[in-house]
Amino acid sequence: MSGKLYGIMAQFDSPGAVLHAAGKVRDAGYHRWDVFSPFPIYGLDKVMGLKNSLVGWVSLLMGGCAFMSVVGLIWFSNAFDYPLLVGGKPMFSVPMTFVPAYIMLIMGGAVGALIGMLALNQLPRLHHPLLDKKHFELASRDKFILVIGATDKKFCVKETKQLLEAIGGVHVEIVEDID
Amino acid sequence: MTMSLHPEKTHLPLLDLSKWCKLPAVLMVVGGLLSVVGLAISPTEFGFSWLLAFMFYYSIALGALFLVMVHHLTDAGWSVGIRRFCEHLASLLFPWLAILFLPIAIFAKHIYSWLQESPATNNLIAAKLPVFTYSGFIIASAIFFGIWWLLTSQLSRWSLKQDETGAAECTYKMRFYSGWGIVAFALTLSASGVLWMKALQYQWFSAMYGVYFFSGCAWIGLATVYVIGVILLRQGVLSAVLKENYFYFIGVLLLAFTLFSSYTEFAQYFVVWNANMPTETFWYLIRENGNWWWLSMILIAGKFFVPFFVLLPVSVKTNFKVIIPVCVLIWAMHAADLAFNIFPALHNDGYPLKWIWLPVGCLMFMGGFLGKVFLKKFNSHPPFPQRDPRLLEAMGVNANVVNDLVDAKGGVR
Repeated sequence: MSGKLYGIMAQFDSPGAVLHAAGKVRDAGYHRWDVFSPFPIYGLDKVMGLKNSLVGWVSLLMGGCAFMSVVGLIWFSNAFDYPLLVGGKPMFSVPMTFVPAYIMLIMGGAVGALIGMLALNQLPRLHHPLLDKKHFELASRDKFILVIGATDKKFCVKETKQLLEAIGGVHVEIVEDID
Repeated sequence: MTMSLHPEKTHLPLLDLSKWCKLPAVLMVVGGLLSVVGLAISPTEFGFSWLLAFMFYYSIALGALFLVMVHHLTDAGWSVGIRRFCEHLASLLFPWLAILFLPIAIFAKHIYSWLQESPATNNLIAAKLPVFTYSGFIIASAIFFGIWWLLTSQLSRWSLKQDETGAAECTYKMRFYSGWGIVAFALTLSASGVLWMKALQYQWFSAMYGVYFFSGCAWIGLATVYVIGVILLRQGVLSAVLKENYFYFIGVLLLAFTLFSSYTEFAQYFVVWNANMPTETFWYLIRENGNWWWLSMILIAGKFFVPFFVLLPVSVKTNFKVIIPVCVLIWAMHAADLAFNIFPALHNDGYPLKWIWLPVGCLMFMGGFLGKVFLKKFNSHPPFPQRDPRLLEAMGVNANVVNDLVDAKGGVR
């Protein structure tokens, strides 16, 4: 029953307690850690120092590419490869490309948001080390779990464990990634 | 959990604007002189410039009225803090903007070409006959201002009454006026935009014009509300009821209306471009002459690309140093957009820049005058609704927590 060290988890009883603990963990200088809660806690993202997700940029990039590709397609098919005169309009002009390109911008943006979200979440996956822990189930019921990852530069089994106990965590447990 | 939402702002000194208190009077004097000189040189040029300035402030007041009515219709909590000064902005519509409309009514013959032509020889005028006479124009304008008077005076009256009584009845009354008011608002706004602005070139048709004018009104209204909100926050007047995320909400609406107003403007252009009918394309062809072409390029960049991409990131919407310049850009672009609609009817071949001082003078005069009226209104009433049922919510006090606390002490309410 031993595997790669994943991190240390601690359980808290109230949103207030986990919010307080999150502030302490942030002040202690940890970066790779997370809080699991049955419901959203107002202000937690600010206490944790979370920045906005990068998904928006992926969405913008994909949307922009989709937009430009439709403009390019219309230019290529209507003005370059097989010039076609429709209703006395120019072979290529910006207003005529706008509607289909705009539709594809929305499409590209939506797909970009989906792909970006899955990539940043590292989803889908079959299993997660935290799911081995019995107490972790309570994070979807009435308890609040704070996990500090072993990949954090400041991580040290003894000190991190002491910190979590000092800030009021119960059931402080080492989580291992068992293959 | 009691985190300060804007820790950096609490350290800033309160904004002191006492040096600027003479600004409205200065604007009035300088702008008034320029307007009178313009009127003496050319009544037509003056009429068009006055119309531009009038439509500019008219759209700000309408945008504010829209926000007040949407606040009541959606039963919003956050916008309680901004509602009072929005009511003041909206009630500029009557009588103040109606007074400023008088020069347009007097010089209508110099502004609207259809008043100089005979319906007997012009079918396009004959088809619009009940309205397209001087008396029809005056009656229609009077009806518009009558509706604005009814809506703004009642919404302000019940709001102020609630400050004294705190009665729920006032909220219901304001909802009643907003309920039918939003329909009357849509119809009156569209009709006034069409009659006062689009009818400058009555030969043209666009079903999009009402929506397009509305989107501009809401857009510039939001920009104005954002700036006034920031000033009042920094002066400490509204710091109890304005939270950082409320500015985020206004910022989100500002982004939405940046998109919406560009969308309506593009849709109007696209339909005309696609149908390619001479009876419609002439309107845009005139606007490709001379410097109108450059103004249209500036509008594409300044009305859409710059504000859209600046407002897009999440965090920027509460960054006053970025949004205030964007709001100033929105004012400039809305004025330019109105000029793009109004002036080509007079100057087909491009705007003669030697006249630029006249619309600027009219804008200065009206800005000073309406600014004075607004400040007087604002100073003679409480700065935000004092006993609105949603006030605690707007102040960031969780009503459930309050109820729990009260119950724990023995159910005292």
